[in-house]
Amino acid sequence: MNNKAASSKQTPAVRQQPQAAATASQNRTPQPIIQNMARVTDPKHVPKEIRDQFLKKIHFCSQPYDFNDDTKNVKEKQERSQYLQELFDLLKEPNFVVNLVVPHLDLIIEMIEKNIFRPLPILKKTATNGEIGMEDDDQLIDPAWTHLQPVYEYFLQLIVNEQPDVKSLKIFITHSFIQEFLELFDSEEPREREYLKNILHRLYAKLVPRRKMIRKAINDCFYTLIHETYKFNGAAELLDILASIISGFAVPLREEHVIFFKTVIIPLHKVQTCQFYHEQLLRCSMLFLSKDPTLATFLVEGLLRYWPFANSAKEVMFLNELLEVLEVCEISKLEPLIPKLFKRLIKCIAGPHLQVADRAMCFFENDYFLTILKSYKPFTFPLLVPVIAQIADTHWHKVLQESLNALKTILKEIDYQAFDKALNNKDPKYLYIIQDAKNQKKDRQKIEEKWKNLTKQAIQKNPNFKEPIVPYSDTHIVGEHNGLNNGNITIL
Amino acid sequence: MSENPFEVFKEDMENEEVYLRVNAIHRVRIICTLIGIDQIKSQLIPYLDSLLNKDEDEVLFAMAEELGNIAEIIPNQSSCLLNLLEKLTTFDETLVREQAVKSISIICQFLSDLEIVNVIVPMWLRLAQNDTYFTCRISAINLMSPIYARAGTQKDIMRLQFFELCKEEALMVRRAVASKIGEIAQYMEKSHVIGELLQAVKELCHDEQDSVRLLCSESLMRITQILNYNEIKAFILPLIILQAEDKSWKVRMALAQIFADLAIAVGKDIADNQLLPICLNLLKDTQSDVRVMGVKSLLKFIKFISPEKLNLIVPNLQILSEDSFSQVKQNVCEVIGLIANLLPKEYCQNKLQKCLFDLMSDENTEVRRNAIKSVGIFVMAIGFEQLNQFIPYLKKSMYDPKWRVRKETIQTIIQLALQVKQLDTFTQQLEEAFLLFLRDRAAEVRSTGLSQLSELISVYKQEWALSNFLQKCVEILEKDNGCFFRINALYAIQQISFAVENYQVEQRLWPIVQKYLKDPIPNIRFVSLKVAKSLLKKIENQDVLIQIKQSINEMLDDPDRDVKFYVQEALQY
Repeated sequence: MNNKAASSKQTPAVRQQPQAAATASQNRTPQPIIQNMARVTDPKHVPKEIRDQFLKKIHFCSQPYDFNDDTKNVKEKQERSQYLQELFDLLKEPNFVVNLVVPHLDLIIEMIEKNIFRPLPILKKTATNGEIGMEDDDQLIDPAWTHLQPVYEYFLQLIVNEQPDVKSLKIFITHSFIQEFLELFDSEEPREREYLKNILHRLYAKLVPRRKMIRKAINDCFYTLIHETYKFNGAAELLDILASIISGFAVPLREEHVIFFKTVIIPLHKVQTCQFYHEQLLRCSMLFLSKDPTLATFLVEGLLRYWPFANSAKEVMFLNELLEVLEVCEISKLEPLIPKLFKRLIKCIAGPHLQVADRAMCFFENDYFLTILKSYKPFTFPLLVPVIAQIADTHWHKVLQESLNALKTILKEIDYQAFDKALNNKDPKYLYIIQDAKNQKKDRQKIEEKWKNLTKQAIQKNPNFKEPIVPYSDTHIVGEHNGLNNGNITIL
Repeated sequence: MSENPFEVFKEDMENEEVYLRVNAIHRVRIICTLIGIDQIKSQLIPYLDSLLNKDEDEVLFAMAEELGNIAEIIPNQSSCLLNLLEKLTTFDETLVREQAVKSISIICQFLSDLEIVNVIVPMWLRLAQNDTYFTCRISAINLMSPIYARAGTQKDIMRLQFFELCKEEALMVRRAVASKIGEIAQYMEKSHVIGELLQAVKELCHDEQDSVRLLCSESLMRITQILNYNEIKAFILPLIILQAEDKSWKVRMALAQIFADLAIAVGKDIADNQLLPICLNLLKDTQSDVRVMGVKSLLKFIKFISPEKLNLIVPNLQILSEDSFSQVKQNVCEVIGLIANLLPKEYCQNKLQKCLFDLMSDENTEVRRNAIKSVGIFVMAIGFEQLNQFIPYLKKSMYDPKWRVRKETIQTIIQLALQVKQLDTFTQQLEEAFLLFLRDRAAEVRSTGLSQLSELISVYKQEWALSNFLQKCVEILEKDNGCFFRINALYAIQQISFAVENYQVEQRLWPIVQKYLKDPIPNIRFVSLKVAKSLLKKIENQDVLIQIKQSINEMLDDPDRDVKFYVQEALQY
């Protein structure tokens, strides 16, 4: 009861404040511009006082305030959001846009720039360093967002509006504008990125003469992600935009776009944070392939080259993508990649991670993939059959064992003779995947012995010879670091 | 025995596992030593070349590294490796490129100036002028400093090309320039540095991208090293001010990070007069990360500030000690300790003592810990007359819920006690807080308290150890029901025994220990046993010796296995 009484007492006091502020601001500007404008009979000649009022409000909105601290400049911030609303309302009337907004686009864009181009803050979860083991999955929220959102909304509507034509907008959308705009995509605030995406999308659609420049700037953004920072919060959003850009590309693709595919789309797969944008990346890749199927082999090559290490979630993603891409590939073009492809698949099947193995098994349910397998029978059978046959008997997981047995049957059905032949002539080169660690170590020892001999000879020949340090060995930090000395992998 | 070395290498390179191929590549110098230069040229290099397009980045990275090592084996012929390395510098993967650049620099050492001019410079120009791949141009920038100094007649062309790269449109290239230009300045003639390079730096500092501007900080610092007083004032200072006022906090943070090094580079005079106001502004920055870096740099920067200007810092420290961000406060603690030694005692006490008290009661563990660390230094600086004001806070800290704080406190108390060297002050003020360690919940705190006990006894003599302190230990042994506290008390007695005279051990300590050889708790029994064993060394009186041995012998039938083990061990003497 007491609490209620206290709170009801407080509310009127709180309520009074904004009212007071509102009346204060109304005293200064008796009526919103929109009402004044409505009274103007000849829209082509806006009276000077209305124009001045308009400019004053734009100027006011360009002032920077500390939006992270709600206690500072409360009055000004309120006034500012009221003005922004007025400016926003003006956009609804084409007449006003033509006569008031378009002539002052320079100031308006400047106002937008001053508001949104800011060094991005680091959003901190809480002020105190949490104790170990404390984890909170709260979404990070920029305290300034409530003040930024109206500006973004205004910008978006300005672009969407049909009145400002390409010619007048074009002047302001410069190279440096786009670059600064793209940097904002790194924002941790998801709602901000959503606005950025929509605005950039519209800009690209509207400003045909600026398209090349925008594409180039996006390129730079991705280069930075691939080569320097390895993390960019807005990658997914940018790829979303790219997807619609790509779908607009004319066929046959220009060389510039093919280079983009090879130097950006493919290397994007190797970035550590690939998981965050893989869905969008896959869509872009597939769009490219729909325009030019010959690119598929390059993508397969890239996927095999950048195959994830010690990251099974990413491996599953790669397997999904690989299967989709293979379906687009021309079988004859795949020839140089066949060994690498099938070795990778069999490694996944025989590997320790169940989901990865399961995903890799799905390949064999795909007809086109089976056609590939059949076309390269002389290579694929000797590789697959002995390994599949052995793990079909020994696999630790029942469901997977069943599907392995089913696969065995499929292979047998494809070519009974080749199957038997492969099973009888086990090529030791391929069996190493399922060989037990002891035997493997023995084989390795033989080669190591040779190296030791050669080292001795080298020392004899040159007394100053410095023995090489190999990074992967039982005792060396790299091996230990990567968990390679767990007995499953042979290291000497 | 007569294996063909090259075949062994090739066989290993066919291996399925990447890590084994990496190992094999690292062994290629064995092959090179054995097969000789002709075969290197005719077989090995073409083979490595064939790997370039099919092997994985990890293998190529190893190759880039090993090519530098091969160069050391065939120094006179090393230019035959350049073709491979040039290809590697154009690769997509940053690590491979950078490693290839390193190996090319190694080869440059073996080449004559003529070869540099005729072979390396043309290669450099090819990389710098490659319009298709920006990766080549970045490699060219990285290669600039090792080559330029020896480029002879080609210097002008290289320089021109380099300044072209400074104006590059591609963001990545400009960033590479921004981070390397400081190093390149070291190799360029000073007239060109002042004439052209500084202009390029200025443009980079005004770059529209903050990612470029922030890389300039370190380069500015490097360039400063080769300029004189007037040049620094004229060219560098305006740029530093520009960076300090940058709208992007990342740039300001980059500056704050290297601020102390910058101070070293510009020299004491400029640091004291011109950099100090900038430093103070960084400490007031709106972004907490800039403040953290600013305070960290202040630790080193402080020694450049002349004594009469130190008091400019103090108000800032007062504000920072109430910062909303705990990392700032952590570092402020250290600065307060440091500055206490530099300021006049009274001034320091008036201005900073309160801050330190507040920091000791901060809600963040690390802040409290650092504050307590600084208290020790602070008190020594302002004099022990003021110690009594700190005692309530030290006592409070000994009851801190976090053991790390308590550990720091006991260390500080011991440090202070060792410095005071006056028994009165010690017993009246510090002792009560000190003794709290005996009953601390954390083993780490208890053992820290014990660790310097013998030093403490050597300062306050056995009179103290055998009266107050021993009494407290006995009290714990008798009354306490926590076995770990009692064990700790026994170890304390052991420590006392090291510091006191022998007859005291016989008369005062042994009877106590003897009593606990028969304690109902086995752990107490065997710890007593261990202590008794160590007492043996200090005892001369034969009667007591026999008494001890007898007591130990009596324990042979102890029902506890561990106790028995220690008895047997003791009897082996």
